Amino acid sequence: MSQSTSSSQGDACVLQQEDFKPGARTQMEWGFGGRRRWRDGALLMALFLGGVGAGQFVVSTWLIDSVTSALVGLLVVGVGKTVAHLMYLGQPKRFYRLFLKPKTSWISRGLIFMVVFVAFGAAYLAPDIGFDWVPWETGSTFSDALLIGAILSASLVMVYDGFVLASCKSITAWNTALMPPLFFTYAVAGGTAMTYLTLIAMGSDIPNEDTLTTIDSVLLVSMFALLVIYVMNMKTSTATARESLRKLTTTKVAVAFIGVAIIAGLLVPLSLTLYQGVAATETVASVLLALSSILELSGDLSVRHSILRAGLHAPVFSEGL
Amino acid sequence: MVRWGMVIDLKRCTGCHSCSVACKVEHHTPPGVFWAKVVRIESGKYPTVIRQAVPLLCMHCREPECEKVCPTGATKKQPDGRVTVDSDECVGCRYCAVACPYGARCFAPDWKDYFTGDKKPSSPYAEYSKKKWLEESDKGVVSKCDFCEERVEQGKQPACVNACPCEARTFGDLDDPESEVSQLIKKRRGMQLHPEYGTDASVYYLPAR
Repeated sequence: MSQSTSSSQGDACVLQQEDFKPGARTQMEWGFGGRRRWRDGALLMALFLGGVGAGQFVVSTWLIDSVTSALVGLLVVGVGKTVAHLMYLGQPKRFYRLFLKPKTSWISRGLIFMVVFVAFGAAYLAPDIGFDWVPWETGSTFSDALLIGAILSASLVMVYDGFVLASCKSITAWNTALMPPLFFTYAVAGGTAMTYLTLIAMGSDIPNEDTLTTIDSVLLVSMFALLVIYVMNMKTSTATARESLRKLTTTKVAVAFIGVAIIAGLLVPLSLTLYQGVAATETVASVLLALSSILELSGDLSVRHSILRAGLHAPVFSEGL
Repeated sequence: MVRWGMVIDLKRCTGCHSCSVACKVEHHTPPGVFWAKVVRIESGKYPTVIRQAVPLLCMHCREPECEKVCPTGATKKQPDGRVTVDSDECVGCRYCAVACPYGARCFAPDWKDYFTGDKKPSSPYAEYSKKKWLEESDKGVVSKCDFCEERVEQGKQPACVNACPCEARTFGDLDDPESEVSQLIKKRRGMQLHPEYGTDASVYYLPAR
């Protein structure tokens, strides 16, 4: 048996050279380069949409009270993330089975959080989006309870992807306590960017703009700090983690990680966000804010993509066999 | 209660891939799906370098990561120690394949022939294999070694053990201290792969030197 690739097989059932290599082994199932590339893209989109959608809902309801933006966030999770997940599954008709093992599986837990979030979020927004026959009103105690439930479950939707990755013991680049806070911070920042873009697209003013801008700047700095800690952690960790770091910084993945995630997705938006506060006109400020938001979202997508691509399994064998 | 396990003697393994072929013949796995495979590793430093063939398969762990992360319950620990996948319950999320430290799980989106030039199967054997595979496993699900459940139930050895010309593989009950596998592990200091993950694998390797 050779270690060659049967390239004539199209996108399915391709014999992976990686499967027969000693040493660190690239995880192919959730990363690009696997057996079905478009499906890997669907998984990435599911992670991305879940984070930014839930983040947008939280920012829109908690900080600026925009029903439209909150509804967009809810739909991004309820429709976008759901469809992306279904596209990825090998047997989408059996999706209901994904909820069966919340005791030990983070995927089950995450999907339950998602359903709870969509249910609470929809119930909270119902009186404001035309369902005025519901027996509660916006601002009532019951409505506030629904909002708290929606925000809590949205936070869990934002963070659970990090736990899914961190639970993989043999992938040292993922098996770190930094994953959940990293995914959470990116989700809130992505949600803020989505909120800006929604409001700009609607042509409405941005309430609490100064507060939002300050929060966004703090989030960008936090994300940068978390990425620095993540990289330093990999540098001082196992050989597999160092190999992941090499992949992140010196291979094609570096374009996404350094170029898009760090420079275009963090440093440029930070500069633009700070500069738009002192921009000469409102139009310029809006354009800068929109540009900054688009770059932040592309950085969010890229960082998730880079982390998936950097996933390497520790070698199956150790010295001494 | 029996706990099935396997011992692989690395001193005896020549890397002939008989186990891989026997497994494919037994289970009719499609191209790209290898439940049993052999990799070659180099270790040591000049002038005492060794090139070693290492057979790999599902480790049928006592504490399997794949079973913990499976959101559907399709991956099950059997009372006899085997870890199995129920293809009727699997949704193909591949969390198990990502979580398995041993790379023992395969995902086959569809059955394809080895030679894809023609629309028809390339041989009667290929046609039979396709039929058998689709009878026993859905497409778009994860599959893995099951220690040849049907053969073991009939009192036979797993196909890879049976086919090994060097008798490098031994199959038996790990819970029986008098069994050949238990004796080999004890006498020749059998070791598990990645014990630090706490998986307590049921496949042991006897060192090559």
